[in-house]
Amino acid sequence: MFSTIFSYELKYWLKRPATYIYMAIFFMLSLFMAATTAGIFDSITATTSSARIVNSPIGINNLFNGLTILIFFLFPSIIGASINRDFKSEMHSILYSYPFTKANYLFAKFFSAIVVVTLIVLTIGIGMFIGFRLPGTNSDLIIDFDIQSYFNAYWLFILPNILLFGAIVFAVVTFTRNIAAGFITVILLLFVQGVTDSLLSDPDSRYLAALMDPFGSSASDYYTRYWTVYEQNEMHIPIKEVILYNRLIWLGVASLVFGMVFKFFKFSQNALSFSFFKKKKGERSTKRNFGGITKINLPKVTKDYSFIQNLKATWKISNVEFKYIVKSWPFISIVLVGLIIVLVALADVGSTGTASYPRTWLMLRGGSAFVFAINICTFLYAGMLVNRSKIANINGLEDVTPIPNWSLFLSKFIAIVKMQILLLSVVMVAGILFQLYKGYFDIEIGLYIKELFGLKLINYVIWAFLALMIQTLIRNPYLGLFVLLVIVIGIPFLSLAGVEQAIFKYNEGSGFSYNDMNGYGDSLARYLTYKFYWVLGGLVLMLVAALFWVRGLPHSFKERIAIAKARFTTPVATAFIVLLAGFLTMGYTIYHGTNINNDRYSSKEVEELTVEWEKTYKQYENYAQPRIVAVKVNLDLFIDSRDFEASGEYAMINKTDKAIDSIFLNHNDYPSTFKFNRENTLVKEDTLYNFDIYRLKQPLMPGDSMTLDFTVKNKPNTLFVSNSPIIENGTFINNMQLFPSFGYNGGELTDDKTREKYGLPPNALKPLPSDSTALGNTYISKDSDWIDFEATVSTSKDQIAIAPGYLQKEWEADGRRYFHYKMDSKILNFYAFNSAEYKVKKDKWKDVNLEIYYHEGHEYNLESMMDGMKASLEYNTENFSPYQHKQLRIIEFPSGGFAQSFPNTIPFSGDVGFIAVVDDEDDEDEAGLNYMYAITVHEVAHQWWAHQVIGADVLGATMLSESLSEYVSLKVLEKELGKTQMRKFLKKSLDDYLFRRTFERKREKPLMYNDGQGYIHYQKGSLVFYALSDYIGEDVLNNALKTYVEKVKFQEPPYTTSIDMVNHLKAATPDSLQYVITDMFETITLYDNKIKTVSSTELDNGKYQVDIEFEVSKYRNDERGKQLFSEEGRDSISYLPEGKEKPILSLPLQDYIDIGVFTEHEVDGKMKEKQLYLKKHNITVIDNKVSIIVDEKPTEVGVDPYNILIDRNSGDNRQKL
Amino acid sequence: MKLVIKDLTKTYKNGVKATDNLNLEIGTGMFGLLGPNGAGKSSLMRTIATLQSPDSGSIMFGDINVLEDKMALRKVLGYLPQSFGVYPKMSAEALLDYFATLKGISSKSERQAIVKEVLDITNLYDVRKKHVAGYSGGMKQRFGIAQLLLNNPKLIIVDEPTAGLDPAERHRFLNVLREVGTNCTVIFSTHIVEDVKELCNDMAILNGGRILKQATPTQARMELQGQIWTKVIDRDDLEAHEAQYNILSSNYNEDNSLNIRVYSEAQPSEAFKSVEPQLDDVYFIALKQDEPVSAL
Repeated sequence: MFSTIFSYELKYWLKRPATYIYMAIFFMLSLFMAATTAGIFDSITATTSSARIVNSPIGINNLFNGLTILIFFLFPSIIGASINRDFKSEMHSILYSYPFTKANYLFAKFFSAIVVVTLIVLTIGIGMFIGFRLPGTNSDLIIDFDIQSYFNAYWLFILPNILLFGAIVFAVVTFTRNIAAGFITVILLLFVQGVTDSLLSDPDSRYLAALMDPFGSSASDYYTRYWTVYEQNEMHIPIKEVILYNRLIWLGVASLVFGMVFKFFKFSQNALSFSFFKKKKGERSTKRNFGGITKINLPKVTKDYSFIQNLKATWKISNVEFKYIVKSWPFISIVLVGLIIVLVALADVGSTGTASYPRTWLMLRGGSAFVFAINICTFLYAGMLVNRSKIANINGLEDVTPIPNWSLFLSKFIAIVKMQILLLSVVMVAGILFQLYKGYFDIEIGLYIKELFGLKLINYVIWAFLALMIQTLIRNPYLGLFVLLVIVIGIPFLSLAGVEQAIFKYNEGSGFSYNDMNGYGDSLARYLTYKFYWVLGGLVLMLVAALFWVRGLPHSFKERIAIAKARFTTPVATAFIVLLAGFLTMGYTIYHGTNINNDRYSSKEVEELTVEWEKTYKQYENYAQPRIVAVKVNLDLFIDSRDFEASGEYAMINKTDKAIDSIFLNHNDYPSTFKFNRENTLVKEDTLYNFDIYRLKQPLMPGDSMTLDFTVKNKPNTLFVSNSPIIENGTFINNMQLFPSFGYNGGELTDDKTREKYGLPPNALKPLPSDSTALGNTYISKDSDWIDFEATVSTSKDQIAIAPGYLQKEWEADGRRYFHYKMDSKILNFYAFNSAEYKVKKDKWKDVNLEIYYHEGHEYNLESMMDGMKASLEYNTENFSPYQHKQLRIIEFPSGGFAQSFPNTIPFSGDVGFIAVVDDEDDEDEAGLNYMYAITVHEVAHQWWAHQVIGADVLGATMLSESLSEYVSLKVLEKELGKTQMRKFLKKSLDDYLFRRTFERKREKPLMYNDGQGYIHYQKGSLVFYALSDYIGEDVLNNALKTYVEKVKFQEPPYTTSIDMVNHLKAATPDSLQYVITDMFETITLYDNKIKTVSSTELDNGKYQVDIEFEVSKYRNDERGKQLFSEEGRDSISYLPEGKEKPILSLPLQDYIDIGVFTEHEVDGKMKEKQLYLKKHNITVIDNKVSIIVDEKPTEVGVDPYNILIDRNSGDNRQKL
Repeated sequence: MKLVIKDLTKTYKNGVKATDNLNLEIGTGMFGLLGPNGAGKSSLMRTIATLQSPDSGSIMFGDINVLEDKMALRKVLGYLPQSFGVYPKMSAEALLDYFATLKGISSKSERQAIVKEVLDITNLYDVRKKHVAGYSGGMKQRFGIAQLLLNNPKLIIVDEPTAGLDPAERHRFLNVLREVGTNCTVIFSTHIVEDVKELCNDMAILNGGRILKQATPTQARMELQGQIWTKVIDRDDLEAHEAQYNILSSNYNEDNSLNIRVYSEAQPSEAFKSVEPQLDDVYFIALKQDEPVSAL
């Protein structure tokens, strides 16, 4: 019987066109995705360059699994429908009396549907396989076909997931006899996965997350999270422990679910029903059987078919539809789960991991987590409403009433919009409740209303237009929803295929963002313009949908076309043409504004321009140029029109020993004028690259000087293009954005494969620090060393304008405010201007004036920032050298999530520190100490590490600035918090370093040769310097640095390099620890340290003996991340643990590693860790045993317990007793 | 007002001709559309009710061209399909109010009045607050009638309305229909001859998409006066009689003998007695004459 039902079912699916439509969609989708990632569109868009092989095992696994998730949305209509069809057609009332067993029936239904799903999955695999190999894909990104990659992804992840989610959907549909229920289940499962993912994102809960993730992706991440590019390209996902446990757990759940279905399923007429209330007491009911009607006097009714009445009716119908949505439990469950997600998101707002005050705009940003819920509801209910009367089989009654089509159609639209408003209100209520819960009462109701029911609502309404059209055309709500999801997910990918402009992509366009200082800025007008454009486009779609609106019996496609033609009457055609014309005109206006009146380049063009730039001008790279020695500028900011006008004077000297005959003036495309004080001819003016060549009549002889006078202003801002960086409140611009420079300034393509394609030689990025000819420039500027600086900035009457230097004079003229700043010492040619309506907080550290310029209302952390400034000044002054200025200012700018250090001036973004919550009242030790504090210390440290010591423009230069500033930041924190508290900072840096290096696009070099990647100079740099201070001592390290600073600060070229600094460090390091410098600075070295076993016994004298067995091994990575266990002249050592097949390999060891023993102490009712023992042990072999005597009963031991070494599995460094 | 159907043809995708060059004129009063299952009754009624379009032909109701101006017909139409569903979680009262709105009744008080009245008429007033989705088959059918009455229709089309009603409800329903049908056109399809006999002042027999006969029930019976004969025969003799006579129907008697009715212009034999023609006879004769002659 099983086989009969099974083959019948299969035949049914194979006969249905839907099956082939699904297959076709997935085939095309996977073909497109695979081919795109493999660079098939390189000829029409920018070159896809990557160090990653796209069809590596892990690449295939990710793409395959990612595409399969879309299939889950089909489960209700395939797996659910397999059994629901019998209910729907009422076939079950006959079928269930037939002589087959429950097992036969259920298994046949379920597995036939699984086979169908598997067939569709197969098309994904085939689509990917072909996609990777289509002619035109980039063969550098592709390796040979490896069936195992597909196979592993399939049987390890995809098949179990299909079984699990299939079983769940099958169960839900079987018991509710409702496809929608199955559908909602899928959405909820995806939501829930998102929530657990974010709840378990903490590194310590990764093991739990790996087991709990029903999709299994966290389980594979558990092993592959830190995989280097080499490993990603070469290795298969290991099929071991955590992955297997995860799969077994969830397969178990799947069988459990199916078992439940089997147990509770009955061949019965009615669905299983659950009731929360007791059944009402039964009542015998009879109806009136006598008393027939003989006389009927129906009251006369007046019928009104006017337009106004139809509008009223439309409203009334929309209310009925709206009630239906709100009462339906798919809606309720999506809202509830969405709400949980919003609350989770709200709890997480703020940047860089610190909590922020719940400002309303942050609540609104957190509310974006609801986007998916609103879109899903829109897409789903558009389908439900369009098909509602058909599904309820009430269309026979409804369609013969004299209500016009437009009224029915419009009512669905209005109901959807009402639903969207309700959902947006949920965001508002959630936000306000969260604010109140946090005891925060600065609730900006107006902002909530403006953003949610103004700006956001338009966006959703535009989606509603599309959804109604698709659902009207398709007439199957689930297929319609699926198509809509494919569209929404697919639109962003169009860029990869060369469709870059927003006007060609439905509902795309400029976005908007809000911050406290500048509000929505100028983003709003552009946003609304695009939205207006898409509203017109959406109305066109609505008209099309109305033409195809089905009234009466289902029509064939041909009939629908005929009906649509008949409905296309003159008034409709007029409206259609007007709307279409409006849409196209608007589109053209935008196109004109962004493309014709403005130079817009596609990424392909940008790539070609970059190539051309290098080919034309690289020849001048080493051409001698004069160097800027003094800068004097006037900058006028016109806040209302967001314009600027600037003029300035550069004083330059020929510092070379050659005569300079030509000046290469590199400027931006602002309207400018240039005037040298020496006679010259403009021999080449390049208006494309803005690179002009002036030939001097009289060459500039060595030691001679000249000046350049220039003016710069912006082109007027238009609705579509902002031509100036000035904003209404909180302008922050630097000199590189505005002013000219000299010589060829790089900016070349870096990917060697792309370069090869354009006939360019491979690119070394930067010279090695050992190249003594390359030390003429700092990495900040190529046309100057140290300069004198003076600036006059004017702004509107209510704003303060700031530039580096000290305020000489402030005055008002013509209703504008002027500020004259002058620097009294030499600075780098790197300065910024800020202007906003500021409040100022002042303080003093020794004789240095401290000032914070902040936005009114952002007073929360000023104290803590002041403390950070003082602590950093203190530490740097004490350990390295005096502070070069008499003043230090922090200046708030609106947003961006970063801070940047200019001479005596630190612009600091308002969203990163100013509204962070720093008062952790629960823990006094940590009060005021957080990332905001750390950033302050770091930026102040740059006044030394960048503004005193600046590296030459060679590899490793950023180690001298960023790594050292980060080191200072850690050391200041350590002073405040104590050493034991540093582990969480170090672990975070370690995790960030290990994770971010996996995204490396080109190569990873050792710290002292780094290419400027953040994960190396911040995260790894801080770990390395912190570890070194631990090994050789903070004083020793700082003394070495002090000597170094003495030697190189404010130096003229040749500039210092990382080699210079490392040599100083080496000199201070004992011979036994020289290997630390080799490992950490000169190579990429990783440890694999781990506690194996530990036991403790109480001794007679009351002390405890702790026996620890632990493993230590280390290896190097090459620049792709390949593990190397041996080096030239040094063979690897190995150790074979009992019961293992593969030995552990390591570089030869002569290392000193911390061994620590800890206990817990109660302090003020809280358990605090106490260190009983910490000592560096000399380690020479992989497997080690030690016995340690401690005074108290130990609770935990660790090898490298504070994670100062780089170790990809930092979790097993400690073990509890 | 007269409903005039001319040369109406509709062929479904599967090749079945649901209406085949059909011509029909229907005046005021009750019109019975009689026909076996699958005769094309529902198709014809759906076409009149603007739910589907014919391939060719025309339908006029008074001066309304139904196929061209569907909206005009819908304003005066009351339609009850053979089977229909309702929206879940809506009470009879709310759903009727909804339909009244769709039908263009703008005044709220008028809507309330008419909804109350139709609920009374259909004996649903006591359960007006209950969800219609939970109604029994008969109650739902009555709800269908209730919604049909809302707009004082001029043309009422009811498709097999009495199927599934108990005798009391059936009577009540037919009475209501007759009462509202005095001033308008009621088309009412059934395969139960009895319904037509009791109610209709005009009728047509439909099969295979064609009208086989149109007449008033009385007239149709009159035409057969003296041509219907009956005889009591033994069960085993049925085949012999079938070959010999035009048997319209045969009914068992309590003693297992058969009562046969035969159509013949003259007395077939001595054993036959003349009987009063029934509407059933009209129906069967019409169908018989339409039957394809089987080739021997």
